[in-house]
Amino acid sequence: MSDIASSEAKLGAATRSAGRRPASILVARTLFLAAFLALWQGAVAAGWVNGAFVSTPAGVAQSLWRLFKNGEIFPDLGTTVLEIAIAFAASVVLGIASAVVLDRNDWLNRTLSPFLTAFNSMPRIALGPLFILWFGIGIASKVVLAFSLGYFIMLLSTLGGLKNVDRDLLLMSRLFGASELRLFWHVRFPWALPGIFAGLKLTLIYCSAGAVIGEMIAAKSGLGVLLQSFSGRFDVAGVLALILVVALLVMALTAIMELTERHLLEWSRGSTDVPG
Amino acid sequence: MDRAIDISVRGLAVSFGQPRNVLSGVELAVLRGEFVALIGASGCGKTTLLNVIAGLVPAASGTVTVAGSAPAAGRRDICYVLARDALLPWRTVMGNVQYGLELSGVGRAERERRAALYVEKVGLRAARELYPSRLSQGMRQRASLARAFAVGRNLYLMDEPFSALDSQTKLVLHDQLLGLWETSGATVVFVTHDIGEAITLADRVLVMSKKGTGVVDEIRVDLERPRSAEALQADAHYHNLYRRTWTSLRASAQ
Repeated sequence: MSDIASSEAKLGAATRSAGRRPASILVARTLFLAAFLALWQGAVAAGWVNGAFVSTPAGVAQSLWRLFKNGEIFPDLGTTVLEIAIAFAASVVLGIASAVVLDRNDWLNRTLSPFLTAFNSMPRIALGPLFILWFGIGIASKVVLAFSLGYFIMLLSTLGGLKNVDRDLLLMSRLFGASELRLFWHVRFPWALPGIFAGLKLTLIYCSAGAVIGEMIAAKSGLGVLLQSFSGRFDVAGVLALILVVALLVMALTAIMELTERHLLEWSRGSTDVPG
Repeated sequence: MDRAIDISVRGLAVSFGQPRNVLSGVELAVLRGEFVALIGASGCGKTTLLNVIAGLVPAASGTVTVAGSAPAAGRRDICYVLARDALLPWRTVMGNVQYGLELSGVGRAERERRAALYVEKVGLRAARELYPSRLSQGMRQRASLARAFAVGRNLYLMDEPFSALDSQTKLVLHDQLLGLWETSGATVVFVTHDIGEAITLADRVLVMSKKGTGVVDEIRVDLERPRSAEALQADAHYHNLYRRTWTSLRASAQ
């Protein structure tokens, strides 16, 4: 008996290493990036495209260096990061909380769902000028704009995760004597976790877009303000450098989330018959 | 054989709120520590009867008592084993076995000790840290059995727990279930449509009518215990009982 178990167990363990990233992928990525940069630089050098419009990798690198060398970027970067952080935290906390309430209360869910869809269908970016009118030129209006994007993503992805929880898991837990609170903590929440993580990553992207675009409309400080002034001076390298900074920031935060996700969702790795 | 009655069902009718009864006039008495198999054609209401005893389905009329009181879902003396293993995918084998103990309010140290013991008993020691997605169907059901018996309840209600398994794996699981049950002293009501399974496991096989009128025949399984599912395959008396049950089952479906 235990022989069967151990051989079956080894069989299970053998498929485990499938998720590792081989070195060839890293090499291929580096080559792809190098080829892209070389093509860009070469195209400008050969005169195929106008360097004044598309800049060059070297130009962008120089702009980046200038931004960080004398610390010119830090006050604006700080403002933007603060806005993203507040909007992201609020979106996550309130989005998940609302989803839990709507999941437990079908009447409320059915009443509100057309309104939620309507809000979510609005082009929130177009509301940006109004938010500035209502909440002022400071960080509040940017937080609201970013939150208006992130909240719905978090709400809908959590709600999607909480739906169709395996009924057998709920029944089994109830029959063992689980309370509603334990059902949530031990069954519903872990079940929704893959959906929540998918939502977290999207929410971060939309919150940072909302914050920067809000700053571009009207603000006292922030990367969006810098972007506007670089655009006004036709400083293409500066604009691209700033966009690169935002992208790298979001990528770094996403990487942290993915690390957490990989740890928490270890159970679903490499398997085929897992829910979701 | 002078044992107390653990489950008593008298004049039970179940309607699910419909004008026509799904079950009517059902009588059943199960002794404490007895292993009873309910068998019958699909649609005979065997799972419904089990769910009434579990407190999941209300009786339209009649009385049902389990250990002297009315059935209720989540009672601390009853354990229900579902047809599907219902293991939490985010917990390892050990974690899943501990889950039942956790919900039963057992402390951490005792939980770990009992879970390790029962994981060992079902032969999953080598797989204790694996997630369910890496287990075969048979291993999953073994984990489910370990979770059920680790909590040590007085009454086990089982709804075709082995129906998804191939016949070879079934025999292994039968021996394991018998091993767990024999040391537990618990009462078991086991629903199945597999005649061989019913005879291998039970003290009594109850055949239910397709008309929904409950138990129409009873086969006493006087095979000696402890039994071995594999050895029984070559046992002449086992095959007599099998034929007798098969005839009865066919008559019940008319």
